[in-house]
Amino acid sequence: MKTTIKFGLVCMVALASCKKDADLVEVPPPVGNEVEVITTMTLLFSDDAGINPDVTATFRDPDGDGGLDYDIFDTIRLMNNTTYNTSILLLNETVSPADTISNEVLDEDDEHFFCFTPSLANLSIVRTDSDGMYEVGLQSQWTTGNAENGTTQIVLKHQPGVKDGTCAPGETDIDVTFVTEVQ
Amino acid sequence: MQRFLQFIAALTLFLSLSPLVAQETCSYQMSGYVLDEHDQTPLSGSKIYLQDGSKVAYVDSSGYYHIDGLCKGTYIFYCKHFGCDAVRQAVKITSNTTHNFYPEHHIDFEAVKVKGQKTEEELSLSKRKLSMRDKNEVKGLSLGDGLSKLNGVTTLTTGNNISKPVIHGLHSNRILILNNGIRQEGQQWGNEHAPEIDPFIADEIAVVKGANSVRYGPDAIGGVVLVNPKELKKTPGITAELNLVGLSNGRQGNASVAINGCLSKLKPLRWRIQGTLKQGGNVKTPSHYLKNTGVKEYNFSYAIGYIKPKYGIDFFYSQFNTDIGIFSASHFGNLTDLEKAFNAEEPLESANFTYEINRPRQHIEHELFRTKAFLAAKKRGKLSLTYARQYNKRLEYDKHPPLNDSLANLNLPALQFELTTHTGELIWESVRRKTLKGKIGITALHQGNTYNGRFFIPNFQKIGTGVFWIENWKPKTTKIEIESGIRFDRIYQRIFMRKGDDIVSPAHNYQNLSGTLGAIYKPNTNLVIRSNLGSAWRPPNVNELYSDGLHHGAAAIERGDSTLVTEKAVNLSSSVEYNGKNLSIVFDAYYKVINDFIYLKPTLEPTLTIKGAFPTFMHDQVNAHLRGFDLTVDFAITSRLSFVSKTMILRAYNRTENEHLVMMPADRFENSLEYNFQDRGRIKNTYVSISSCSVLQQRRVPQNSDYVAPPEGYTLLNLSAGMDIRTKNTTIALGIGINNLLNTRYRDYMNRFRYFSDEMGRNISIRATIPMTLFTPKSSNNN
Repeated sequence: MKTTIKFGLVCMVALASCKKDADLVEVPPPVGNEVEVITTMTLLFSDDAGINPDVTATFRDPDGDGGLDYDIFDTIRLMNNTTYNTSILLLNETVSPADTISNEVLDEDDEHFFCFTPSLANLSIVRTDSDGMYEVGLQSQWTTGNAENGTTQIVLKHQPGVKDGTCAPGETDIDVTFVTEVQ
Repeated sequence: MQRFLQFIAALTLFLSLSPLVAQETCSYQMSGYVLDEHDQTPLSGSKIYLQDGSKVAYVDSSGYYHIDGLCKGTYIFYCKHFGCDAVRQAVKITSNTTHNFYPEHHIDFEAVKVKGQKTEEELSLSKRKLSMRDKNEVKGLSLGDGLSKLNGVTTLTTGNNISKPVIHGLHSNRILILNNGIRQEGQQWGNEHAPEIDPFIADEIAVVKGANSVRYGPDAIGGVVLVNPKELKKTPGITAELNLVGLSNGRQGNASVAINGCLSKLKPLRWRIQGTLKQGGNVKTPSHYLKNTGVKEYNFSYAIGYIKPKYGIDFFYSQFNTDIGIFSASHFGNLTDLEKAFNAEEPLESANFTYEINRPRQHIEHELFRTKAFLAAKKRGKLSLTYARQYNKRLEYDKHPPLNDSLANLNLPALQFELTTHTGELIWESVRRKTLKGKIGITALHQGNTYNGRFFIPNFQKIGTGVFWIENWKPKTTKIEIESGIRFDRIYQRIFMRKGDDIVSPAHNYQNLSGTLGAIYKPNTNLVIRSNLGSAWRPPNVNELYSDGLHHGAAAIERGDSTLVTEKAVNLSSSVEYNGKNLSIVFDAYYKVINDFIYLKPTLEPTLTIKGAFPTFMHDQVNAHLRGFDLTVDFAITSRLSFVSKTMILRAYNRTENEHLVMMPADRFENSLEYNFQDRGRIKNTYVSISSCSVLQQRRVPQNSDYVAPPEGYTLLNLSAGMDIRTKNTTIALGIGINNLLNTRYRDYMNRFRYFSDEMGRNISIRATIPMTLFTPKSSNNN
């Protein structure tokens, strides 16, 4: 009898320490739950002189890395011998309403740096904004020359604590190479 | 450090000056341990004596005994243990001798076994376990690193803290880990997911090489790792064992304590509590510290059992918790970053020493509850029922929190898995009647997985059932033993996934018939030959079916294929064990054919994402074979000096694509010289061993499957030494080891961080094992 009681005691102690069961799989959590991804980058160009029409160019991979491929990948089409003021819009479209990631980048502009590498001989791109110490690149000025075709690589580096105004340090958050046509 | 090395040098010198030869007659000593034959528990309270009573030695709490004043010649010793029959054994004394006794133990289930039958189950597959010394030397290491002491076992590592065992080139879901008899169910599919087991619990650490689905169920394609704790204490009293280990690299400290008890008034009630703490900081390569490579572990377990010869029940509970820092420079955004990391001479992020663990990091919890009950019927057999529940929680934190402040403040892991598994097993084991002995059983498993955060594998539910039957045939008059078995398994798996706004839940059914046939031949007492032909299988894992995403550590997109079929293996393995006077040889050879072998095949088209183009891999199936051998030769040059040589050769080939298989361990050679010192006073079993381990460059790799060529081969020198010190009541075991003595700079092909960092530099470990008797009842052990 005594042993039976001891038995029971032992069983209770043994079972009491178990953690919560997570095996009752009924409904999966929604994909994208609390996950921050950049799905969309849109470049907004406006003619500094106000003559040529505005231009936009977008890269969009609606479900992020993996899964389905990108669905929008525009060509940048600019007019020759024009100066454009350019701003970059970043979105997370896996959540609804879409989260504007470029605002977060602006909040933490001392950790972020955009790098522009055009292959076009006469296209020059300069960053026009600053975090107080270094440029950021959310805002930039693109100056075109004569008509030509090529590509423009846009890289966003995440450089917490290591930003030095160059593209070298940090990790790559974005790396898109747009086909670029100056008409 | 310098001073420490000097101390070791001095110690070595001191020990080597002790007289080595020139013994006068009748001054020889014999010492050793008295151990339980089948679980190696020290049997304190035993005595060793000569028939005429001229020599008597009592065994201390660590099982150690010691007799001196012996002459050259052969003695008949008796070893008597409380409650057991005395064992009679002839020992030839020509020098100072070490001899262990294994008295027959009759307290437990063994009592109903037929006389003369060995307790240890003989297998036609080769089972290799860590020796007492190896077990001591690997204290403080992870389970994977410890197992790699066994020839044929290597590791797949991710930095210095994540280490998975690899048996004959196979790992993860292709090997099975039995923790206390229970299939370890964690997220073992991942290369950076190490087994969640505290090695300090283990008393027996062994590997069964070769395919063995019949006895152990699906997944055992490469082999089975057995991790068993000590049996609960059988004799009244309370004992404890304290283990302390310090490692210089990472300034890691380990402390583990186990307390065992058995009541004198209620002898069947036995218990143990055990706990381990471990903390290490940033480790150092020969030239610099690696940022964020600390580790923290806190584990505990308890066991309690009520065990009578005819029936019994026991409970075991263990909890494993760890925080692992992931080397900072291994986390990158895209392929350009990865290439930059390859080409860097030194890691792109420098660091100093710290114990702090930052992002990226992993937090893992694993819980095991097991209960086992048995009923034994004399001269018939034993029926046992086992139930276990495991809960595994894995949190992975990315290098950076989300940019969105409100999300970042939640401090959620980027990836979280929770896996709960229930397993049950009912087995009838019959006692050998005439020539046959059998085992028949049914097994069941229920598993559920949920995830949170970034998608990598979906939620799923898995139900598995299996039946098996194994017979062993051994007539008394022959030297051959034959075993054969058959098993049928069914696995049902249902997936729950979101596709857009819909939930899809495809189901998969898998079933398989496996068989085994093997023989053990013992022509004489020095030689054992084993051969086994067996089959094994595993269903495709959920990640192989449905993973779809960016693998951050590998900078690659991995895509699953939901049409994959089961992987099937046929394995032929043979082994020869020779145990001669001065020479012992262990040779394990294998030939394994795996059909529908699942692997990641590079696709030609990279995937374009917002982070750039990534190389893309698809899970694909091919036919493959693996063959090779492990050879261990142990030669006693003199009675004190011995030479051990280990060779491991493996060839793995993809027969469908006619190329080598990727990520297979390279050929490996290890040679060591060991010197055993003469016992002096209270200092026993002193040894010093120096070994060199050479790993060749892996040249057998498929084309275009890797970013950079496999690293060059390397040779490391390691040193280890140990001694036992007898005090009044106990025997303390001390040891020291120096790995990578020359601080060699090297990289290993089986380390996933080989792209961006060297391996650890010199690492000095010191360890102490202190057994203690906390309480001994007055009225026992007076035989």
